[in-house]
Amino acid sequence: MVVYTQEHVYRHPWDRVTAAAWRKFTDPASRTALSHVADVHTLHRSLDSDTGRLHAARSITVRSLPLPFILRRLLPAAAASPNGAALCHCVETSLVDAPRRAMDVVVRNVSLRGLIEVEERASYRPHPDRPDDWTQFRQETTIRCRPLAALAAVAEKVENRCAERFLQNSAKGRDVVERICRYLEAEAAGAAPSAI
Amino acid sequence: MVFGRSKSSSSTTPSSASAPSKAAAACSELRAAYHECFNRWYADKFAKGQWQSDECADHWHKYRACLEEHLEDKHLRQILLDAETSAFYARPEADPPSEQGATK
Repeated sequence: MVVYTQEHVYRHPWDRVTAAAWRKFTDPASRTALSHVADVHTLHRSLDSDTGRLHAARSITVRSLPLPFILRRLLPAAAASPNGAALCHCVETSLVDAPRRAMDVVVRNVSLRGLIEVEERASYRPHPDRPDDWTQFRQETTIRCRPLAALAAVAEKVENRCAERFLQNSAKGRDVVERICRYLEAEAAGAAPSAI
Repeated sequence: MVFGRSKSSSSTTPSSASAPSKAAAACSELRAAYHECFNRWYADKFAKGQWQSDECADHWHKYRACLEEHLEDKHLRQILLDAETSAFYARPEADPPSEQGATK
């Protein structure tokens, strides 16, 4: 099992950062930066208008890094794609508590769970030092391989391959959120082009 | 409002391996309209304290109906049809488990 923790301070207020976080996968300008994301759909949403809580679940379909040959043989989806990458479905569930200014996001893989379980938990909170100006982001990624005895060696490779990909993508995701924050900031100031 | 699952044409496009899903193609406009509404509502209203009305419900219902018709993956369908009972639907807990969660 591998666990990674990451923290980041956005120098933007909580409402802007969380608005940007929602747009992360769907913003057209992020397509190239997050080219591993093949498809995103909202599957569920509910708003509790009394308490100001918003729940949502989205599917995120991700192209993996090219997989080792043996795994390609095991995974029809990967075998079919030209470079041996697989399409994996993940589900992202989010809870935003507006009165408390708290956003929590959990991403789990749906595909390949017999082989590997990935869970990424992230939170966005007003930064304790400057709660109205900055946002504290925390993320914990847990990757666990299923110990299929015959596949243990391969599984370890997959674990590493997935970990590499997740770390790359977390960094990219942060950059994308930073960029969208700047865009929203400019838009709020009335200076942005009216695109998107 | 449950449609019969239309498993009609699974063998039509042989090169669908790298293409986005059928649902993406069929529902892209409804999805875009919903996102546009949601992004605006979230940034301008919800995150700033005006959470009393769900302004994008209409867009959402149309988009969801389209997904119900076109979404193929069985796990994702399960979440679409009944999120709360799906094993993949993790409920992030912003505070200790006390409340029973949101209304439908």
